[in-house]
Amino acid sequence: MTQEELTTLEVNKSVDARGTSCPRPLLAAKKAMGEINSGEILEVLSADEGTKKDIPKWATKKKHEYLGTVEESGFFKIYIKKG
Amino acid sequence: MEENKKMCMVLFSGSIDKLTAAGVLLSGAVADDMDVDIYVLLQGARAFRKDIADDPDKLNMAENIDLKEEFVKSLQNLKVKTWLEFFKEAKSLANVKIHICGLAGKVWGADKLDDFVDIADDIVGIGECITATQESDVHLFI
Repeated sequence: MTQEELTTLEVNKSVDARGTSCPRPLLAAKKAMGEINSGEILEVLSADEGTKKDIPKWATKKKHEYLGTVEESGFFKIYIKKG
Repeated sequence: MEENKKMCMVLFSGSIDKLTAAGVLLSGAVADDMDVDIYVLLQGARAFRKDIADDPDKLNMAENIDLKEEFVKSLQNLKVKTWLEFFKEAKSLANVKIHICGLAGKVWGADKLDDFVDIADDIVGIGECITATQESDVHLFI
């Protein structure tokens, strides 16, 4: 998805994991994914650099669809569609 | 339904830095929906004692011993969970079993399950540990 598409996405759940370090954002994403339905979209906010690669890889491995990442000032937003 | 992958962690170390690393690895395994068996051996069993587990003053570092204060403070500043909190959370999220080596318990004057933190599931012999490592997809020695 393009950055513009990502920024206008309607998300079903958002998790703010800023201020935490690995593995907290990953576990927060896992927990949140258990609370949404297949086809719904999860947004994860994080400032942990390792998470930027970690969550997309985890999502793909778990048969979810990684939609993309949007950089913000001092943090980023990761978008995943539940498989 | 696909069966979960299995991890077997042999936790020999009772040092605060290695326990923290074990907690991080455990969290990753849980995020990956793995079933985890942890076998707690010698030094590890001491750390799991009820009167020691959540007291950083009673746990040493495996490396850079003189940097313990800096290490603990830095983890707190980063809002990283303690090693025990990592283990507790992992147990609440997935099929994680913690087995204490019977010999190790005796070495540290703790031979009953009640002597250990309540996340310990049982006290076992080494045969079970060997079988679990043979049957696991991933095994770690820490």
